Amino acid sequence: MLAVSAGLTAVVAGIAGAWSPCGLSMLDTIGSALGDARRSMMLLAVATFTIGAVLGGVVTFGGLALLGELLGGDGQLRDVLAGVIASAAAVADWRGLRIAPQIRRQVPERWRWIMPLPLACGLYGVLLGLGFTTFVLAFAVWALAAISVAGDSVSLGIIVGAAFGVGRAIPIACLTPQLGSEDGQRRLDRISVDPRLWLGLRRVGALGLTLCVVALAAATALGNSLGPKLTTLASSATDPSAAGGLVAWQSIGGGGVLQRATGAESPLPGDLPALGNANVAWEQGADIVVANATTLATEATVPLPARATLSALAVSASWLVISALPVGGGAELVAVSLADPTTSTPISTAPLAGEIGRPAIHGSDLVFSASSARSSAIIEVDLATGTRTKLHATHANYSLQNPVLSGRRLLYEKVGRCEQKLLVGPATRGARSRLLLGLPSTVRRDPGYQPGYQRNWDSASHCPNRAAGPGGKITLGTIALDGTNAYVTEYPADVADARIEVVPLDRRS
Amino acid sequence: MIALAGAKTVAQFVLPSEADAQPYTNFCGHTWTTGNCPAPTGLPRIDRNGYPVRASDGVPVDDLGRPVNSRDQPINAKGELLLNPDGTPVTPAPRTRVCQTAGRDHGLDLSLDGSWYRCCGGHVRRIRDCCGETNIRINGDQALTGYCYAGRHVFCCTYYDTSVPC
Repeated sequence: MLAVSAGLTAVVAGIAGAWSPCGLSMLDTIGSALGDARRSMMLLAVATFTIGAVLGGVVTFGGLALLGELLGGDGQLRDVLAGVIASAAAVADWRGLRIAPQIRRQVPERWRWIMPLPLACGLYGVLLGLGFTTFVLAFAVWALAAISVAGDSVSLGIIVGAAFGVGRAIPIACLTPQLGSEDGQRRLDRISVDPRLWLGLRRVGALGLTLCVVALAAATALGNSLGPKLTTLASSATDPSAAGGLVAWQSIGGGGVLQRATGAESPLPGDLPALGNANVAWEQGADIVVANATTLATEATVPLPARATLSALAVSASWLVISALPVGGGAELVAVSLADPTTSTPISTAPLAGEIGRPAIHGSDLVFSASSARSSAIIEVDLATGTRTKLHATHANYSLQNPVLSGRRLLYEKVGRCEQKLLVGPATRGARSRLLLGLPSTVRRDPGYQPGYQRNWDSASHCPNRAAGPGGKITLGTIALDGTNAYVTEYPADVADARIEVVPLDRRS
Repeated sequence: MIALAGAKTVAQFVLPSEADAQPYTNFCGHTWTTGNCPAPTGLPRIDRNGYPVRASDGVPVDDLGRPVNSRDQPINAKGELLLNPDGTPVTPAPRTRVCQTAGRDHGLDLSLDGSWYRCCGGHVRRIRDCCGETNIRINGDQALTGYCYAGRHVFCCTYYDTSVPC
């Protein structure tokens, strides 16, 4: 809903830009400089202007959305701020207030003389599509910038930017072919002397912004009650894995299950399934089978590690990663190239079981958590080069768990004494992530003071999101990620009741 | 026996008992107003090395507040390893000294300096101040000297319950 309302508002805000010095200059430059004699050149100029405007809009608003995604942090707070800005802009546009802050700059006039018209118009389009390089003709443009940041969805920013560019091009496309005629000139004169249509467009934009505010409020309300609104993918299940529209998981007390894009579920002939690219892997007897995920035709068979219990698998088009618990204790992680399944490469070892988390792989990029009593980190290993990167690390207060990749997007859990967070962000070192799901911690906490004693200055002993006592009943477990959804295992005290929930990555658009 | 009984009587006479709770702030034995150090389960109870333990029973906990065994692995109430639904042990978490971690969280270099002992719940309790070269305490106002060494001030406080009866 936000994407639709913001997109429509952006179109209107773009059209309103025609009343700027730049907008009027464009009409006259493209429409009358050549006249009907060279109509094809004029149409080409309109086309390049449109392309440039859309490109500029996508750069500005898509860039702002990318910034919002990189900033991460409290998405609901940003929703509220964007809602306030959009509301104020809607009121100001409805009342036709003078635009402020105003950018009193124009596109370079000399381009018109030194470049071929289509090229100049393409560059003019870019500048006008950027939105903030020249005069701004509606408060809605500022509000759309705030909404793009708050939406923390690049796709939303691209939609807004493209719509704004289209809006800037609409008056050019509609009016310039007519400017060779008297009727067309009369229309241009009317635009330049009568601002009522501009003010009317600003009012339409104000209505669009109101819809945006409603959508932001709905998204915030959804975020506040996200827990109960999650969709359950599978009950009595854990260890989800997702790729190419398929989802697989381990049924508790049973075997692996594969769900196809149609929703049809079928049992796999083994345990601990993992999906990657077009492959699926599972444990079967004394082997690990790698098969085509569509046909289940075996592509490779790899023996289980000797004197060890398999704890997790990860697979991609060219790699199989095996996490195992050796009989003597500890944990180990090895990678097997599917091009040569007879040799394995040690990736990591740890003295205690659990210190190496469930691995995940995308292409040749492997991620896993390495946690101990001294630190907790998410490690990325490029299996092709052997390069290791510590994407996130902490030495106190938190445990970083269950990282998974989809492209260069990283999903992981950050668990502290107060809260369990499911976070998503870029798979780059130290990049900020945004909160996708938050649950209270499950540990029992005391009230921070001893009953019967004077209570004072005990705020450091409290959690802002939960009360003293037993805490939440649900623990976040293993997770999976595809292009549109996160899949998270949630389990109560009785782990047999674990279930896999679907969390949309983009709850707004 | 007579000596022990006498010592206990003297101790009960000299040391404030739980009945004298009113002057204590937040927990027994803490006579000043400096706030608690942040701790995984609430009250800032620590072991002899400064690591967090659960206030109610002294069980060691990690930074997430989960009880842990001697190898710092999370365990359940029966002392068994905590397991994921797939049967693998859950991921451990850092277990850090309460005072030093409070310092790290607030950009200070803190350590446990001096201490004072009082009788609480039938055992001698050691009140341990978490100190540093700071003029601000966790309360946000001016830090006190408390039991800190010269030139240092209390940022927040912790306590350690000895096994000495009183």
